[in-house]
Amino acid sequence: MNPLELTLGIMTAVGGFVDISELVFAAKAGSTFGYALIWVFAFSTVGIIVFSEMSGRVAAVAKQPVFNLMRHRLGLKLGLVTLAASIISNLITCAAEVGGVALVLNYLTGAPYMLMAVAMTAAMIVSIWVLPFKWIERAYGLLGLFMVVFAVALVAIHPPWGQLAGGLVPQIPHGLSTKEMLTFGYFVVAIISAVMFPYEVYFYSSGGIEEGWSPKDLLTNRMTAILGMGLGSLLAISILASSAQLFGPINVDPSIPGSAALEAAIPFGKWGLIIALLGMFFAIAGAAVETCMANAYSIAQFFGWLWGRHKKPWEAPRFTITWIVLFLLALAIVLTGIDVMTLVEFAILFSILVLPLTYLPLLLLSGDRQYMREHVNGPVAKVLGWFYFAVICAAAIAAVPLYLLTSGGNG
Amino acid sequence: MRWLILFALMLAACSKGPEADLQYIKQARSAAAEWALVNEQAQQGTVTGTYAASMHKWLRDEVHTSLTSLTEPDSPYGDEIAALLQQPDDAAPQALRARSDNLKKIEDSLESA
Repeated sequence: MNPLELTLGIMTAVGGFVDISELVFAAKAGSTFGYALIWVFAFSTVGIIVFSEMSGRVAAVAKQPVFNLMRHRLGLKLGLVTLAASIISNLITCAAEVGGVALVLNYLTGAPYMLMAVAMTAAMIVSIWVLPFKWIERAYGLLGLFMVVFAVALVAIHPPWGQLAGGLVPQIPHGLSTKEMLTFGYFVVAIISAVMFPYEVYFYSSGGIEEGWSPKDLLTNRMTAILGMGLGSLLAISILASSAQLFGPINVDPSIPGSAALEAAIPFGKWGLIIALLGMFFAIAGAAVETCMANAYSIAQFFGWLWGRHKKPWEAPRFTITWIVLFLLALAIVLTGIDVMTLVEFAILFSILVLPLTYLPLLLLSGDRQYMREHVNGPVAKVLGWFYFAVICAAAIAAVPLYLLTSGGNG
Repeated sequence: MRWLILFALMLAACSKGPEADLQYIKQARSAAAEWALVNEQAQQGTVTGTYAASMHKWLRDEVHTSLTSLTEPDSPYGDEIAALLQQPDDAAPQALRARSDNLKKIEDSLESA
């Protein structure tokens, strides 16, 4: 294990943890329910750590990416349904990220939103084309570390640490009306979905294969998943807690992503604002690249095409055309003028519906001794895996009714 | 049970009047409060002019969407949201906060009804 590689891997995971959906829902959750939803971020982070570690282990030992498994484990018909659902879910998520990046550039430069969406899509396509896989992941992830300003800003505004720590205890606030209870339920489901987005596992496991992981990389995999995602989650929690402290008392429910940047501007002024916007820019751009690549990986793996950025773009032509077309489709969705927040809500909703089908084959394969040999799921991974699978199934069932009954969490 | 849930969902999707408008009242109330906060920070020099101008545009769009989505625009809350839209970009934070507070009162009264 190379300590430099490990540190870079962890830092990349930290900087790449927050995307547009987490940013939006963390800020809204804090302003609406104070610190009462912090535990959901912590709880979901354990879930994504469990499944990411599992997918990385399967990639390292069985050399199987998630969608390859899906076709074998679910059969062709159900596999195709899952593929179609995840393509839609990832495409909407990618469009939300592309819109988010364009919005942040608009806040930074004042340049027209649509123009920025076109320019950034072109820039992201070029970055995937020219950079080797490791640096696609790292460039965005490491620059996303500007997001650390949100954690520093939280310390600077002196929050009530006792109350904040109390938010880590699973709870439902007292005295909520039925409607508020439903909204709280919607936020729980939305945060689980935002933290456990399926694209993260597709990208993580395919990345393991791109980088040629083997069983000797299992410790790196475990450390990256636990420390990278665990520390990344602290950034999302910081955004939530600052929102509870700064926005909730003055009736602000951040309705556009730019409001979150005020959390750093209030304690640190213009430089705080600019650093926060840069962090948001790189973190969301990284998520746009990951969702697009995850979608292309899924399609190529399902149909057995040559895939991967370790090859030259022209050596895997169908894979290359797929990720370019997917980026252009995401851009086309943004150019229809649909609101970014609406895209975020749809992304959350579609993703939670796909999650059980994503994680079931992974759970089955990582528990299969024939493939995994001595690296098969241990008792902790087994219990946590099935527990979180039950949780996401329940969340998937509740998602649509809660979305409709609460108008997407807007009451 | 399944029919009851479906019925409730249909009601939620098709309702009209103040109940259905509540989400847009909340949206406008929050946008007004965000607008006030942005202007307050702009006065203190903690945000860039570009950021403030951009936020004004998006918040104004948000308020406009709330107004055009109301099922009952000729109502006290419709008037309040329309008046909010008439504010200049650099309106005084106190004036914007007063609008937000008015909408919050309407929102609270509708929620407790």
